Amino acid sequence: MISAGVDIGSISAKAAIIQDQNILGTHVILTGYNARNAGEQVFNELLMRLSIGPEGIQRIVATGYGRNSVTFAHKAVTEITCHAAGAHYLQPETKSIIDIGGQDSKAIVIDSQGKVKDFAMNDKCAAGTGRFLEVMARALEVDLDAFGHLSLTADNAAVISSLCTVFAESEVISLISKGEKRANIIAGIHESIAARVIAMGNRIGLQAPVMMTGGVAKNIGVVKALEKKLKTGIMVSENAQVNGAIGAALIAATL
Amino acid sequence: MSSTVQEKDPFKEKRKIKAVQKMKEIMTAYYIEAKTPTQQTGKKIAWITSGGPVEPLIVMDVIPVYPENYGAMIGASKMGVDLCEKAEEMGYARDLCSYARADIASATINGGPIGGLPKPDMLICCNNICGTVMKWYEVQARYFNVPLFILDTPICHREYSKEIKAYVEQQILEYIRFLETVCGKPFDYDRMQEVGALSIRGQRLWQDILDTTLHKPAPMTCFDAFFFLALIVTLRGKQEVVDYYEMLLAEMKARIAAGIGMLPNEKYRLLWDNLPIWYKTRWLSEKFAAHDASLVADTYTSGWCSSLQYVDENNFLGSLAESYTRIFLNTGTDEMAKRIIEMADKYQVNGLVLHSNRSCKPYSLGQYDIQRIVQEQRGLPTLMIEADMVDERNFSESQIETRIDAFIEMLK
Amino acid sequence: MEPITFFSNIAQDPGKYAADWKKATKGKIVGHFCSYTPEEIITAAGALPFRIFGKSASISRADAHLQAYSCSLVRGGLEDALAGRLDFLDGTVFPHTCDSIQRLSDIWRLNIRDKFHMDIILPVKLNTDSAGDYMTQVLEKFKNELQTALSVEITAEHLRAAVQVHNRIRAGLAKLYELRRSFPNLVSGSMVHTIFKTAMLMDRYQFADALEGFIAGMDTQNSKPVHSKKIVLTGGLCNMPDIYQVIQASGGVVVWDDFCTGARYFEGMIENDGPILNAIAGRYLTRVVCPAKHAGIYSRGDYLLKQVKAQNAAGVIFVFLKFCDPHAFDYPYMKTMLEKEGIPHLLLEIEDQVAAEGQLRTRCEAFIEML
Repeated sequence: MISAGVDIGSISAKAAIIQDQNILGTHVILTGYNARNAGEQVFNELLMRLSIGPEGIQRIVATGYGRNSVTFAHKAVTEITCHAAGAHYLQPETKSIIDIGGQDSKAIVIDSQGKVKDFAMNDKCAAGTGRFLEVMARALEVDLDAFGHLSLTADNAAVISSLCTVFAESEVISLISKGEKRANIIAGIHESIAARVIAMGNRIGLQAPVMMTGGVAKNIGVVKALEKKLKTGIMVSENAQVNGAIGAALIAATL
Repeated sequence: MSSTVQEKDPFKEKRKIKAVQKMKEIMTAYYIEAKTPTQQTGKKIAWITSGGPVEPLIVMDVIPVYPENYGAMIGASKMGVDLCEKAEEMGYARDLCSYARADIASATINGGPIGGLPKPDMLICCNNICGTVMKWYEVQARYFNVPLFILDTPICHREYSKEIKAYVEQQILEYIRFLETVCGKPFDYDRMQEVGALSIRGQRLWQDILDTTLHKPAPMTCFDAFFFLALIVTLRGKQEVVDYYEMLLAEMKARIAAGIGMLPNEKYRLLWDNLPIWYKTRWLSEKFAAHDASLVADTYTSGWCSSLQYVDENNFLGSLAESYTRIFLNTGTDEMAKRIIEMADKYQVNGLVLHSNRSCKPYSLGQYDIQRIVQEQRGLPTLMIEADMVDERNFSESQIETRIDAFIEMLK
Repeated sequence: MEPITFFSNIAQDPGKYAADWKKATKGKIVGHFCSYTPEEIITAAGALPFRIFGKSASISRADAHLQAYSCSLVRGGLEDALAGRLDFLDGTVFPHTCDSIQRLSDIWRLNIRDKFHMDIILPVKLNTDSAGDYMTQVLEKFKNELQTALSVEITAEHLRAAVQVHNRIRAGLAKLYELRRSFPNLVSGSMVHTIFKTAMLMDRYQFADALEGFIAGMDTQNSKPVHSKKIVLTGGLCNMPDIYQVIQASGGVVVWDDFCTGARYFEGMIENDGPILNAIAGRYLTRVVCPAKHAGIYSRGDYLLKQVKAQNAAGVIFVFLKFCDPHAFDYPYMKTMLEKEGIPHLLLEIEDQVAAEGQLRTRCEAFIEML
């Protein structure tokens, strides 16, 4: 059985193809304006790379914000359920997942079978998402990819306490005008994101081992800030960004 | 409303509640009378909060008008954002209650679906539901320059103390004196007993209607209750309410007898907490229905019969203080959690859906703890929906959709 | 040591002061959030009334209990308690004011264990006889509950002594406002802020002495009055000393406020004769109201206008905590009242922990330049 998962997020579209519990390949592109096109494109490009024809895929599950616009999928499943399945597959001991994506962040608690026990998502206007990091990177004139490592050089993380993106941004601007070191501000931003996400996790009883998924998992600064506050290590798979697509492909295999 | 369906699917037709039409007629007649100039009706108009003691107004032949009911109408007709923005232009912060913002703006431009509420002759504000209503009614008292009566019902975090009892009972007497002064006629205590009896009958019937969902499949959902609620709120103490609810109850019983549920296939039973999201009731109702999930009960509509246990049938006026002070929202968070667990048990639900309502702090702050308590004591899955009852700008459809879908996937 | 240093040492680390006080005196400490707390009764019980402000630190524990639309006072206070930064408290009392504090009380009671918890369910309207009677009964009830919780007896003599010291503090704080108005170079806005903060957490007998000493030490004879643009502040509480610096640096001086942590704290002496609880109730009934209370539909607007005129102020700055509903409801009509009199005003919406930098500084400066 060969199955596929297609995860259409707000920033990037991901695809994964698996055969009998083995990952054959994964692929990521930018979502752009048209979620439906992005779904077809990411899926077709991956098929081409793996030299598989569309008829070779028996089952497809779509997930992410654009899940209902993937018309060729057999089923749409939320990214929450898919992240749980993906994390359980990548690290079977995982009990909790922190997923920070482009437009929202989630905390998910799963059982020993990889089934969702409970989850929480950020409030609409709360800071603590990939988009928020982008805005902050612009305000600080730092390349987003450099954000993580730069924050590790901080000697004293700045305090950013506002929940609201607009207020948080003005806090950051205040810090800049006070002459606070960039690294300290970035570390403060990461700590504030970590605080938000952990508060969400605490509401649903987050437990170790914790795995982090989603695009922001590539930011080592956020991961370290989370580890510091949780007082436990966090697993970050090299497949963190495509974890939802992998989960979707796994669920597709059970259809 | 889930009960208004466009296409003529015979099964859908069968599931439609027939009493809907009659209810619309009653509400239309009510608003027509309220908007008829006082010179013609000879009746004064009082604006009153949804949890306020309306029965003495009925005794005095005063027409009660509910800005909160109008807020719901504004929300349901998706006129909330415009009016809220208008209030923001007037200087009211965007974080304030959207009922209040919509009403404050509507009053100045005769806005909303019926072109504004009739001008009040008096304002009756009971703070058993929140502190916000007092600030809101102060605004309207300044705007309309009419007398304002505040019935101050202290919060019963853990107890209805003897001090609270004495204070509110004294205020009930002040309320009667206030009405006598404003209306220029003596209060009719015999009529109070009759109106009280009708109020009690109305509340009991409302409880009976809500309890028809104990049956599986439930003949109606909370989305229907949100609609039928308007009568017990606005016309409590009137014969029309009793007559109408008897008819509605009979229809619900007939549905049960015929095995008609509101959902074609009721797989999950859920409990709703907090006010409706008025501009999205249809969307939410269809969304849950598509997952075979029936919202069989809610803490909101049951609020209008939640203090029946404190009403003394033989001394309605004497028990007014206690029955209006000890309502669901005017208790502590742990009391609210206890009540939610009782309802979850009673209606045999599979999960709890909480609307975290930006507009309503007394209803919403504490929900995270309620969520935890319900999970600890019953292990029930819970879903949190962050939104607002009227201000659509605080609703993120794709995010809410993901949450609902994921919640149902979790129930499976 | 500068005389102010004595106060700023305490104000900078209230927790340390409280812990040290407790160790030295073996006394009890009672936390609270509100200027409606009848501190006299706590003092009379031999305990220390301790005002909780919410520390400027990152918040994560509280957000597991409170939604994003809670104000920073509520979030910050709960965070402090959950993080163990208020472990020195023996208990907390919650006078009923706004919807957020009402629910904070519940959440606090459910999550902060091993300490006593009291609600003082004050009347919301304060301008009727029945509310007055109820207020006195509520204070009596609070006194009785406090006696039980602290295992002490609170006699009328204790209450009179406590009222006396709190009246001394009120008189001193009022004097401080006069000094700041005329001699802002001697008594700056930031100093007043520091002293007020200390007033709400320090041993009240020692504080009264220290305050009187501080005032006696002011050399007003050799100091020339400074003429600055007079500003009245209005709003909830302000735990942001930076704003006073910004105003002063821009050539303004704060001559009055109706902050919960300002004039509302000291206005209105308690008559120390007749039944003492009635006298205490009398002050809380007649003092200028917090907008969560009702004393008539124009009471706060009238008060503001009266103060602006009495102080001959040039402008008004509204300082609101984001998500504070009662203040936000009063703003439009109070602003209109000012406009009718041609009094300029500015609105600053703040979150308690946000520093008065950037945009806030620019707006303040521009406003004062405009006057």
